[in-house]
Amino acid sequence: MPVIRIPTPLRPHAGGLDSVETTGASVREVLDKLGEKFPEIRDRVLDGGELRRFVNIYVNNEDIRYLDDLDTPVADRDEVSIIPAVAGG
Amino acid sequence: MAENVNGAAATDPIERYSRQVRFPQLGEEGQRKLMASRVTICGCGALGTVLANHLVRAGVGFVRIVDRDFIETHNLQRQVLFDESDVSDNLPKAEAAARKLRNINSVVTIEPVVTDIDHTNIIELTRDVDLILDGTDNFETRYLINDAAVKQNKPWIFGGVIGSEGQTMTIRPGITPCVRCVVESAPPPGMTATCETAGVLGPAVAVIASFEAVEAIKLLTGAYDALNKEMITIDIWDWTFRRLKIASLLGKVDCPCCKHRKFEWLEGDLGSRTTTLCGRNSVQVAHRRSQPLDFADLAAQLATAGEVRHNAFMLRFSADGHEFTVFPDGRAIIKGTNDVAKARVLYSRYLGN
Repeated sequence: MPVIRIPTPLRPHAGGLDSVETTGASVREVLDKLGEKFPEIRDRVLDGGELRRFVNIYVNNEDIRYLDDLDTPVADRDEVSIIPAVAGG
Repeated sequence: MAENVNGAAATDPIERYSRQVRFPQLGEEGQRKLMASRVTICGCGALGTVLANHLVRAGVGFVRIVDRDFIETHNLQRQVLFDESDVSDNLPKAEAAARKLRNINSVVTIEPVVTDIDHTNIIELTRDVDLILDGTDNFETRYLINDAAVKQNKPWIFGGVIGSEGQTMTIRPGITPCVRCVVESAPPPGMTATCETAGVLGPAVAVIASFEAVEAIKLLTGAYDALNKEMITIDIWDWTFRRLKIASLLGKVDCPCCKHRKFEWLEGDLGSRTTTLCGRNSVQVAHRRSQPLDFADLAAQLATAGEVRHNAFMLRFSADGHEFTVFPDGRAIIKGTNDVAKARVLYSRYLGN
């Protein structure tokens, strides 16, 4: 199954988990599945059906914006990482 | 040649750097390039103090340090150039850092600038340098730096840290994606963790700032092949290190900045200089004046409000349950509220319009 890596700021909305195994053949399907379990995360990542502009998603460290965005295919054992911008310093 | 307090540098300017000159990728030629280089460090908090420390020790010839803030005790956990005496002396960060750094390496020219970086001054602060370094703590200033760097075709290095996590990327306009290609907009308040909710670990800042510093050394010595071409993200708590592949975003993303050359932050279309300060229960009120404030006059006017203290860099007083720190350019940081409108009212009440 694909694994979604949850960033630290979103872990409180995922029962404290740092990763969640899920199902789905595309990034969109994987996020929908995640959203069924943890709806608050979905709202923080997606605005309607689109990715929020301050969140980036990577499949195996590749930015989905130069793949097929939310339609990027996801295979078994792929790693889907949600990476929000880090503002502090 | 610049005078050194102990005279050592006067005889052989390279000798003090012998341990890094022996690093073959740098060598004496690289060292001479560093010594002829000029940088601006934007922000001198956690990231900025580590950056400035590395680059001044490494012998970068000219280091301009720009920061808007003063030092508080809770900074000392991670802001490595400051100590308790700087807090009690009410020194601005840029000035305190310059004093420390001049004792560390008197050969380097250090220019402290106590100001808020905004669209009116960023070009002047970066025009005469080879590289811009990110020591800031907010995306508003980073987008502004990004605009200024792309417009001037000048490299800059982004770094951000929160909790135990950090990110960094090296931007070379036209060669790599810019920050707006990768982070299209800043997270709005409440949508992500802040330093108030997540805190920040000193070692996390030190790691990211050290990555920035070594990238600076590579850039300034022309070691372009060794540069980081991706977005690095780390988490020092759970030992995560990733290189997110972003190089292919160049030209692919419809970037307003580096593709369309629309510099919305630099032109002042975006951004507000009156702003809450992350995790500080404070608001900065930007109210720049054409003439510097006369602190002696102001202190006399405010004497009825309570005790007023001032030095050459700032004036501080308390009123209405709030602490005001005022800078010569008219800017003030008002502690005790996160309410921008209330802070503006307080500013008008005590400091005028």
